[in-house]
Amino acid sequence: MASAPTPLLQGTLDLLILKSLTLGDLHGLGVARRIAQITGGAYDVKPGSLFPALHRLEENGWLAASWGESENNRRAKFYRLTKAGHKQLAEETREWQRVAAAMHLALGST
Amino acid sequence: MRLLSRALALVRNISRRQHTDDDLDTELRGYVDALAAEKMRQGIDRSEAERAARIELGGFDVVKENVRDARTGAMLDVIARDVRFAARGLRKTPAFTVAAALALALGIGATTAILSVVRAVLLQPLPYANADRLVVTLHDGRNPVAPANFADWRAQTHSFTDMAAAEFWTPDLTADVDPEQISALRLTARMFPMLGVPPLLGRTFTPDEEHAGNDHVVVLSYGLWQRRFAADRGVLGKTLPLNGEPYTIVGVMPATFQFAPFWATRAELWAPLSLDARLSSRNGQSLRIFARLRPGVSLSQARADLGAVTARLEAVYSGTNRNVQVMPLKEMVVGNIETPLVVLFVAVACVLLIACANVAHMLLARAATRYRELAIRTALGATRARLVAQLLIESAMLAALGGVGGLALAAWGVRALVAASPAIIPRVATVTLDGSVLLIAVAVTAATAIVFGLLPALRTARVDLAETLRDGDRASSDGSERGRLRGALVASEFSLALVLLIGAGLMIRSFVALERVDPGFDPRNVVTMIVSTAGTPAADSSRHQQFYIEALSQVRALPGVASASYINHRPLDGDVWGFPFRAESRAHPKTGDWPTATYRVVFPEYFATMGIPILRGRDIAETDRADAPNVVVVNESFANAQWPAGDAIGKRITFDDSTWMTVVGIVRNHVSDQLSAAPRPEMFLPFRQQRAYVNGTGASRAMTLVARLACDRAECDASKFAPPIRAAIHRAERNAPISAVTTMQKLVADATAEPRFYLVLLTAFAAIAVILAAVGIYGVMSYAVSRRTHEIGIRIALGAAPSSVVRVIVRQAITLAAAGAAIGLVAAFALTRMMRGILYGVTPTDAVTFVAVTMLLLGVAILASLIPARRATRVDPLVALRTD
Repeated sequence: MASAPTPLLQGTLDLLILKSLTLGDLHGLGVARRIAQITGGAYDVKPGSLFPALHRLEENGWLAASWGESENNRRAKFYRLTKAGHKQLAEETREWQRVAAAMHLALGST
Repeated sequence: MRLLSRALALVRNISRRQHTDDDLDTELRGYVDALAAEKMRQGIDRSEAERAARIELGGFDVVKENVRDARTGAMLDVIARDVRFAARGLRKTPAFTVAAALALALGIGATTAILSVVRAVLLQPLPYANADRLVVTLHDGRNPVAPANFADWRAQTHSFTDMAAAEFWTPDLTADVDPEQISALRLTARMFPMLGVPPLLGRTFTPDEEHAGNDHVVVLSYGLWQRRFAADRGVLGKTLPLNGEPYTIVGVMPATFQFAPFWATRAELWAPLSLDARLSSRNGQSLRIFARLRPGVSLSQARADLGAVTARLEAVYSGTNRNVQVMPLKEMVVGNIETPLVVLFVAVACVLLIACANVAHMLLARAATRYRELAIRTALGATRARLVAQLLIESAMLAALGGVGGLALAAWGVRALVAASPAIIPRVATVTLDGSVLLIAVAVTAATAIVFGLLPALRTARVDLAETLRDGDRASSDGSERGRLRGALVASEFSLALVLLIGAGLMIRSFVALERVDPGFDPRNVVTMIVSTAGTPAADSSRHQQFYIEALSQVRALPGVASASYINHRPLDGDVWGFPFRAESRAHPKTGDWPTATYRVVFPEYFATMGIPILRGRDIAETDRADAPNVVVVNESFANAQWPAGDAIGKRITFDDSTWMTVVGIVRNHVSDQLSAAPRPEMFLPFRQQRAYVNGTGASRAMTLVARLACDRAECDASKFAPPIRAAIHRAERNAPISAVTTMQKLVADATAEPRFYLVLLTAFAAIAVILAAVGIYGVMSYAVSRRTHEIGIRIALGAAPSSVVRVIVRQAITLAAAGAAIGLVAAFALTRMMRGILYGVTPTDAVTFVAVTMLLLGVAILASLIPARRATRVDPLVALRTD
């Protein structure tokens, strides 16, 4: 059975994947690189957790996949954010900001 | 949206597994290529870049596995894998699988078939409106009632909304084609409304039709309507010739309607009962009285009410209103078969329990050999939930196999039971496979399989992993808790099997006793049939007697017929009731206190034809004509009861204090209505001196022909003689209705049909039980031997003789069987009491049966343990000692 990542981590990864696709379609490696870029290198997502997350999000209907050509002319699977995915991203972003604000407040107090 | 999307994904994952897997492969390869290309752009050379990329991926299969687990329906995949795994496991041990599934199937099948019958017959309500409010009022709870008493009870009681009477009637359907005698009832008009079942077509009877002149109307049963009228809906208003008189068809009852539910259960036709003149008669007890309790009136109130009325009547008309009982109709219907059905129910419960115990200890034995497997799987990281799930699936598959087999067996069993059951079991035709019973049987056995299948998984928590792996299957000796549990299961199987075997043994002894009953006549080579004159010119009183004489001489003249005669009602067939008489020279009893005897009307040579010895005096003779002195032949029990001094010949009896009949002969007792009943007084009167028979009035329009065949062989083919005899009778009267053609031997066999039926069933159950118990002890002993291979090897290496090894094993088996047998004997002693009602000539605690059956069962235990014991002696000590 799958080694279960903590819910926070899983949620974080999902949120980052959704966010990474807002600017355009990407294949698996593209998503990983984009996440590294937007988090300033804080997250280096390994394929062992990246692909299960991509497939799960696709089955949830938040991502859609299509086959295309990669930069080096190889078949690659490109992911695209669906309408439901945009909605989910907005929702999760709001939720994250709420949690972050609360955490910030909590940790900032003495 | 998300749910829908996931549902679609689930379908895709299941239906296009290969495709999605290939896609994943391509995707991951693309990832590696892209990564390598990236590295090459950083200046790393191709092969190095590709290697690094693959390492960064971290293993193709690990990633793929992670993705698969993330997919919807991943659990289904796991289950499918377990199912395949379990199926493989079951296939690899065919002996175990077949034995366990067979035990389950037998348990489920037998239970369901028998319980379906029990439920349909005992538990379903009778097919009448508010059937639980219907009662029957009869003398001694079973004997018929005189018309005047019926009229008085109906008028004077207050506990009943309705009271109606039924009288047995067997009219001849005198059609041009296929004339036949029909089983029918005459009913007072209130009967149908009281039962509350509306007709399918037309109407039932009006009060007017209860009187002579209006009473030539009939209501048909569904069966007769189908059979004689091809379900013609235009049948109403047509006439049906009964006994040569036209009856108008006014109604047809639905297929589910049956009346009466006990006695005369095969009635196919109902006509109004016109009592008119008879209403004042307190003799001629021929009515069965049915009544419906008034709302709010209890059975005991009704009994008190009728009790008061009959006490009053008895005071006025002494002897006419004795011991009148009010019985619920249901009790009348199921009363006789309740005991056998309950016995069968207990028997079947035993079989089910044995099957469960068998499956349980088979699973336990199997589990013991799997601790090692389970321990290894645990060591490899399988969680307990996974192990439980896997074992659960295996048990469930086993239960499913057993369930399917059981269903098939039950379906076949119900059909076989219905086909084989004697007519005495009421409503047996309505029996079908009972779904809820099947469900319960499946649930019980499946629960057993699952509980005992899971035990090993639940135990792994307590098993010391390292210990198990190091010591393998020898880890624990068989003296463990588990071994004791299995031993207890096998012992309980033996006790249950013993109870069943004793029950079957008692039935066999009882049946043998019944078969040995001397009917008092020689039933071999006697053909018999009912010959009537109804609807023919011979029905005319001037020709009636002549017809019978002519037909008889035609039959006697046939080649192959040794002798022939008539009797009004042949033995072992139909109702028998007492006819009041009085013997001369004894104190004059009051009316109603007269003794009774069975009234038989015969032709000369009846006793010779039936092989009934005349002990003293003479037969009825041709010379005993209407103008000659009246004579009677009586049986021993009649003579002994009336003239204990043994001087019956020459004494006289009367029915009416005016005509006297002289006893001219005494014949040996022979059975009348039941093989197991004590002989009753019977009197045989000459046909020519019984005016009703001479003129053919009323019910006296039919006689039963008996013809003894002269045969070389021990038995003739009686069926070959029926057509020439029929033709001979028809030479005397072309259309004389002939019915109920059979042989006396067949009638005797039919009389034992009911005990034979119970015998066959109980024996079948007992056989199943013994087989299951034998398989049980064989399984346990085989397992014990395999567990002790090491120990046996040491014994043999140390010089133990094979015989002593056998003795050790067999002794263990006998200990188990004897413990079970001891408990079984106690249980049987308590349980066989309830069989008293269906046993004949043997007590419920018959010592011979108890001892013989116990010996048989111990013998089976020894045989079943001998096979594994012999195997033990062939153990090669070198191999045994090396055995892991």
